[in-house]
Amino acid sequence: MQTHRKKKIEIIVEKARVRSVLERVEALGAKGYTMIPDVSGRGHHGDWGHSDILDVYRSVLVIVIADADIAQRIVDESQQILQHATGIIYVSDVDVVRSEHF
Amino acid sequence: MLELVNLGLSNLLTPMILCFALGLLAALLRSDLEIPEALGRGMALYLMLAIGMKGGFTLAEGGAGLEVLAGLLVAGILSFAMPFVAFPLLRLLVGLDQVHSAAVAAHYGSISVVTFVTAVQFLDLQATSYEGYLVAMMAMMETPAIISGLILARRSAMGTESGRGPGLGLSSELLREILVNASVVVLVGGFVIGWATGDRGAAMVKPFIQDPFNGVLCLFLLDMGLLAARQMRSAGILTPRAFGFGVAMPLIGAGFGLGFAALLGLSLGGATLLAVLAASASYIAVPAAMRLALPEANPAVYVTLSLVITFPFNVVFGIPIYFGTARLLGFS
Repeated sequence: MQTHRKKKIEIIVEKARVRSVLERVEALGAKGYTMIPDVSGRGHHGDWGHSDILDVYRSVLVIVIADADIAQRIVDESQQILQHATGIIYVSDVDVVRSEHF
Repeated sequence: MLELVNLGLSNLLTPMILCFALGLLAALLRSDLEIPEALGRGMALYLMLAIGMKGGFTLAEGGAGLEVLAGLLVAGILSFAMPFVAFPLLRLLVGLDQVHSAAVAAHYGSISVVTFVTAVQFLDLQATSYEGYLVAMMAMMETPAIISGLILARRSAMGTESGRGPGLGLSSELLREILVNASVVVLVGGFVIGWATGDRGAAMVKPFIQDPFNGVLCLFLLDMGLLAARQMRSAGILTPRAFGFGVAMPLIGAGFGLGFAALLGLSLGGATLLAVLAASASYIAVPAAMRLALPEANPAVYVTLSLVITFPFNVVFGIPIYFGTARLLGFS
């Protein structure tokens, strides 16, 4: 089966910032996203994302698959969105089957 | 004095407070005890709905007059004004910078529902009744402090580097957080439903709203103990002066609360609850708003202060102190 090369952008960000991240992602031309509502880990902000009723420490993983130019625009703008926030963004290559969906 | 000690002891030796202690202990011993998050949220909803309805039923019983409006007005003023009292203390005595002072101050203007609920249980134990509309006052006090926090943060820092530009930076997201915040919706909703349905409604929901209330509160306070102990790991960033603020500010707040209670002519129970409201600090609604509005403030500072210091202080010592003081001042 034929596949198409796309970029996968993964953004881990604290819950308070998710709405603005998603707004920008869509405004920059991505056709959709997948969200994992609760992830946890450890980084240079220390432990983050332990899930409890204090939403303030909750982190969310947003996965976006898009064309390379859109991915680049999202990465370029991400530092502004993620300023002062706990967050990670990275990009990798993926192959998708239904190119027109992304 | 001896009476105060007695009151304190009778508060300490309830299953609710002992469950809180159990949670603290379990987390400090690194037990694997954990309350599933969904259950924690469910219990928080239950407690808010139940306390809202209880307040509404009580109000329906006694009938409502202008005093309810006066109470709501006072509640709004208290919540809005308290951050302006806390801010200079934080700046000058604790030595926090402007943004952190503003963020912390906002927490102390807002309230903690669980502290209020625990105080209601304490009053039941003392066979002391309270005015039902205190619940509506609580809902009213939840968010005005957020605006004060923003004013304090922006006062000399219009248009900072994060590009929010001039003005208060009240995004639609933040406005939604302030106006239709989940706890405000559930508290006010429960209150109005309770008020509208009165005795008939009370009889219908009693087995769910009244009877399991203390048991749920036990389990919830167990969770709060776990949360507070876990947050203690961040306590290292707080100075001794900050700890001092975490204990002094509730006492100052309670003073204001009792003053306004006298103005409103509240009963002993009502005065105690208003003191508790003014003394307590938020650890759910306001942190979420501050992450949106003042992201440069480190959440560990405000969450630790309100959750690790002020919350336990109020629940264990504050409630009997405010009750005892209100009684000494002649509230009846």
